[in-house]
Amino acid sequence: MSLYYGIPILLIAAVLQSAWLEDVQILGGRPDLVLLLVVTWSIIRGAREGVVWGFVGGICCDLLSGGSFGLWTFSLTVVGFLAGQPWVHALGPTVIRLALMSALGTVLGHFVLLVVMILLGYVVDLGRGFQTVALPAAVLNFLLCPFAFTFLVWFHHRSRAQLGGFAQ
Amino acid sequence: MKRDSGPWLAWVLLILALVLIGLSESGALGPAEGLLSFVVAPVERAVAAIVKGVGSVTGKTRDVVELQQRVAELESGNEVLVQENFRLREYQAENEELRRQLNFHQENPTYGSIGVDVVEQGCTIFPCGDVVGQDTNPYLRFVIINVGSQAGVAVGMPVVTGGAAMIGRIARTSPNLSYVQLINDPASFVVAMLQQSRVMGVVEGSEEGQLLMTNILPDEEVAEGETIITSSIGGMLPRGLILGQVESVTHLESDLFQRAVIRPAVDFRRIETVLVITDFPQPDLDELVIP
Repeated sequence: MSLYYGIPILLIAAVLQSAWLEDVQILGGRPDLVLLLVVTWSIIRGAREGVVWGFVGGICCDLLSGGSFGLWTFSLTVVGFLAGQPWVHALGPTVIRLALMSALGTVLGHFVLLVVMILLGYVVDLGRGFQTVALPAAVLNFLLCPFAFTFLVWFHHRSRAQLGGFAQ
Repeated sequence: MKRDSGPWLAWVLLILALVLIGLSESGALGPAEGLLSFVVAPVERAVAAIVKGVGSVTGKTRDVVELQQRVAELESGNEVLVQENFRLREYQAENEELRRQLNFHQENPTYGSIGVDVVEQGCTIFPCGDVVGQDTNPYLRFVIINVGSQAGVAVGMPVVTGGAAMIGRIARTSPNLSYVQLINDPASFVVAMLQQSRVMGVVEGSEEGQLLMTNILPDEEVAEGETIITSSIGGMLPRGLILGQVESVTHLESDLFQRAVIRPAVDFRRIETVLVITDFPQPDLDELVIP
């Protein structure tokens, strides 16, 4: 199962997100490293592993958040599930799928996160949140997706060799 | 075949995530979070140390580093002096207030009066923590510090830096980490007053990250540059912690109250070391109960 290396990767990504990336401001926003890894892995390995990575990545993010536990877990599980759906394969070659889903997945993840937060009574503005946080993050994740893909494809090939072609 | 198991697994995990949210909202998830934080806390500390180390080394010559250190020392010294100045002004204002009360008492010798001291004195400033990370949720303004319930930190305790500048309150704790809700978080509210004029109001955060003072009565005069400090009303915070200075004041005719934009006393993105106030003198509530 990919979680042998998935858990450390997602945990370190979440910690990097908290300790480093939150201070980085590029194009008015910052990338969502864990979200990007979940989308990329989901595209490489399909929805089944995508939801598991989304769930684990979400728990890692929730452990480093002062908000309600489960906000990121729910949001990233939804993203992991949708990014690995068969209809995503109709979007074109892997590079196109990856680029589109990195951006769309980020927007979707933030949308789910915002909606759940609003339902729980948090003071957040959907429009402003999209404008100032979600869209810059989508652009940055779009730009960073080749790096995430190269990194995770290495693990994908390695685990596929070990498991005798289990992966997609 | 295995890919077919995606939907049911997704539903199970989604329902589990919703259950986690429900348990978290009800406060029943504390022990499990505490257990998981034992894994996260060392990683967070290590990565924070590496990030801090790498950030200070890369691309800098020795001279630049030395100059930066010198500037940091001077800035730190200046910050301490500014905070000290604020404190002295607070003592001056308090002194004047006590003199006025004394005069009132001397001018009205037939009145019975009870002197009350609601001034914060000798706070037990106990755990000192480093900020090891920001909130991973970009819609919340929290910082994570590396002291937790094992060091005596509890929810609601005020957190200060640079002398007496309040940055926020403890919102959640785990054994080794605490989550500080910054005063500029949209859900943060602090009862405050202006240091010189003693005008009361509520300091609250906004979605843009601005700090605002609201609920200022329309006939009150608020001067730009005036210092805003915490009030002891409610007993949740010690009096005299510095929140910021008035930057501008607005009062629309349609509004019931005036509103002031506040320049925070600290740069929330550059907080490194903080102190958690675990105890402070409070009025004895039993004395307020009418038998």
